Amino acid sequence: MKSLASREETLLSAGIDIGTSTTKLVISRFSLMNMAGGSHVPRIEIIDKEILYRSPIFRTPLLSATVIDMEAVDRLVKQEYEKAGVKPEQIQTGAVIITGETATKQNAEEMVHHLSAVAGEFLVATAGPDLEGMIAAKGSGAYDYSKKTGKAVANIDIGGGTANAAVYENGKLSGTCTLHIGGRLIEFKEGKVSRLSVPVERLVQQKGWTLAKGAAKDHPDIEKVARYMAAVIGRMLDKSLTAEDEVLLLGHPPQWSGAVDAIVFSGGVSECIYQAEDRQAAAEGYNDIGTAIARAIQEEHSLQRYEWREPDETVRATVLGAGTQTTNISGATIQVESSQLPQKNLPVFEVSFEYEASAGLEKLRSSMEEAIAVYDPGREGQNFVLYFTHLPHLSFRDIQSVAKELIQCRQLKPKPSQPLVIALQSDHAKVLGQTFQALKPEESVLCIDQIEVEQGDYMDIGQVLDSGVVPVVIKTLTFHS
Amino acid sequence: MKEELVASITKLVVEKLSQEQQPQEPEVNLWSKGPKDLPPVELKEQSAGQIEWKPLQPKQHRQAAPLSSASKQKSADTAEAEKKEKQLEELRKKTPSRIAVGRAGNRPKTNTWLQFRFDHAAAVDAVYGEVAPEVLKNLGVFTVQTRVKDKEEYIRRPDYGRQLSDEARKMIKERCQSSPTVQIVISNGLSAKAVETNIEDVYLSLQQSLNNLNISMGTTFYVDKGRVALMDEIGEILTPDVVVMLIGERPGLVSAESLSAYMCYKPRKGVIEADRMVVSNIHKGGIPPVEAGAYLGTVVQKILKHQASGVSLVKKES
Repeated sequence: MKSLASREETLLSAGIDIGTSTTKLVISRFSLMNMAGGSHVPRIEIIDKEILYRSPIFRTPLLSATVIDMEAVDRLVKQEYEKAGVKPEQIQTGAVIITGETATKQNAEEMVHHLSAVAGEFLVATAGPDLEGMIAAKGSGAYDYSKKTGKAVANIDIGGGTANAAVYENGKLSGTCTLHIGGRLIEFKEGKVSRLSVPVERLVQQKGWTLAKGAAKDHPDIEKVARYMAAVIGRMLDKSLTAEDEVLLLGHPPQWSGAVDAIVFSGGVSECIYQAEDRQAAAEGYNDIGTAIARAIQEEHSLQRYEWREPDETVRATVLGAGTQTTNISGATIQVESSQLPQKNLPVFEVSFEYEASAGLEKLRSSMEEAIAVYDPGREGQNFVLYFTHLPHLSFRDIQSVAKELIQCRQLKPKPSQPLVIALQSDHAKVLGQTFQALKPEESVLCIDQIEVEQGDYMDIGQVLDSGVVPVVIKTLTFHS
Repeated sequence: MKEELVASITKLVVEKLSQEQQPQEPEVNLWSKGPKDLPPVELKEQSAGQIEWKPLQPKQHRQAAPLSSASKQKSADTAEAEKKEKQLEELRKKTPSRIAVGRAGNRPKTNTWLQFRFDHAAAVDAVYGEVAPEVLKNLGVFTVQTRVKDKEEYIRRPDYGRQLSDEARKMIKERCQSSPTVQIVISNGLSAKAVETNIEDVYLSLQQSLNNLNISMGTTFYVDKGRVALMDEIGEILTPDVVVMLIGERPGLVSAESLSAYMCYKPRKGVIEADRMVVSNIHKGGIPPVEAGAYLGTVVQKILKHQASGVSLVKKES
């Protein structure tokens, strides 16, 4: 319908990144428009993303080495919202991401949930090193570059505590890897080493070096540590990490297939390479090993064979990714009840129809039982999303059978009156939703479609927009233990 | 005698071929601008403007390369080719157009050509075919005719397809509910196949959608060889608030079974085209028929709410 095509709708999004050493925030505005032709069913897409406000880079407020100062973070966010001229209730989507070593702090989980509640009604909390890498790759432009050229592009986001690598080939994620490499792993104070992080201590011990707390700032081992880290990045890229390197590995080894063509460095350490933000700050130094790592990377021989691409953003890649790249838009023909929205932190359970209506139908009951067993073992009423994939061409009668079976299965849930949330890969949500309505109008069912998620992801569904779509944020909620 | 001749010619050709030094197979190059699978040739101009094409000798250094590095080169080439193939596959997924299908010399490959012929034949069949009577019987609709006598006339005289036969007018008056909120009309239009394949799903889903919204439907019927503007005459006879006409689209090479839903608020003679609206591309490769029906219900709701359709609806909405 032309009516939708002519209208443009906007959406305010916030991104907040609480990193190992720095905290920053961006506010952006998305424009949504119907991109389908006048005689087609509407297809709403995000057509433009405009950054309205970028906060300065703040030091992450900490109460102690292991506790984040939540009040200070709160104040900071409020103050930045004010400067940007927005109120928390205006924020319709976006993400709070807690990254690097900050995610290991005692109150990290509490912090991120607290912020996502006070900083906007629909702002989601995300964490996890793999996700960080992916978000940074989207913020730095590495993802776009790979999509545009078809190349395998590795984005390596090196912050204060960790280096998060994500490899995209032709716009598709082919793998991630996280290393204990970051600027704050060795800190200096008054010309002396004031702090050595655990992974660096282990590395020094393993190598038989002599670097220790209190050593001079120009101790020769510091250069060696930086060079070793740069070499490990090189070995990670061609997947030749040695047993010795594992001391710097956080989580799984690199799992991408194929070779990397181009590399992009983002994050605070890349700022030391490119000085895109503030030459002054870079010249003054950060009193940590960041500049040494940046220099070692630039000189590292094994990195020279890749194409180097300058990032669109250095230290802000992650926050921009979080603010502008985490929101998806559902299909335009869906069936939801706005009184039941937003829905937050719903785990996803995938039900593959294997391109056969009868196969999917048979699976529904066992899938529902399994989903309850996995996500709600205590039968406390944790809701979840049933995600239907690989749907065949469904006839009206197939849809009726699926809806009837689902209504039966719903009784298996500890709280059957909870909204039943269904996400579909293909465009069938409206008819399925309407079929539920026709069968049992008193219980609410949310049906959305044209969403790509994976088993185990978490999904947040925002409030219905004027164009009839809902914003959906897919995330992985894992905290380092 | 004939066999002997064939044998002798074959022998000659084989001899000639074995004498000539076989040029090495040219490298497969997905992006080559020149004709593929042909040995590269070099132009040799001779006196009196005569031109002779002569196969190029493969480059020397390639032959001289040691075996191990040659096989390494080959595996790198296949990897490169595979990567390109993957990229092309991505592009192919983005469009139903026949892109990156390859070619044999300057002709399409046999499979591509056969597919093209098949799709063209399907399009022709869609125009000249008929909707199976069981399909209409299952939906419980009766059939009326337009002023068109046969398919040839239907194609030559679009104006006849926009008028009901006298008998049809009488039948509609007798059998249909007068002044319903929504009148649904089904017609084969230019693709009987579109109706046959999709009508049950679209119709049942639309019916359910309207029921949910408490919008009542009149008596649905089928018009053989109808055109979209036929809804104007139906509007005059039955005076519904909205007409939804489900009609087969002119078939193309992507799909021969695409259905359209044309809608108009209070259609009558002299209605302007801008007041009609359409949801097209309803088929299994476009918008799924069941989802289309569900969506159409909400469009009808909007038309009733604003008492307008087409461009007038857009104006009233904004």
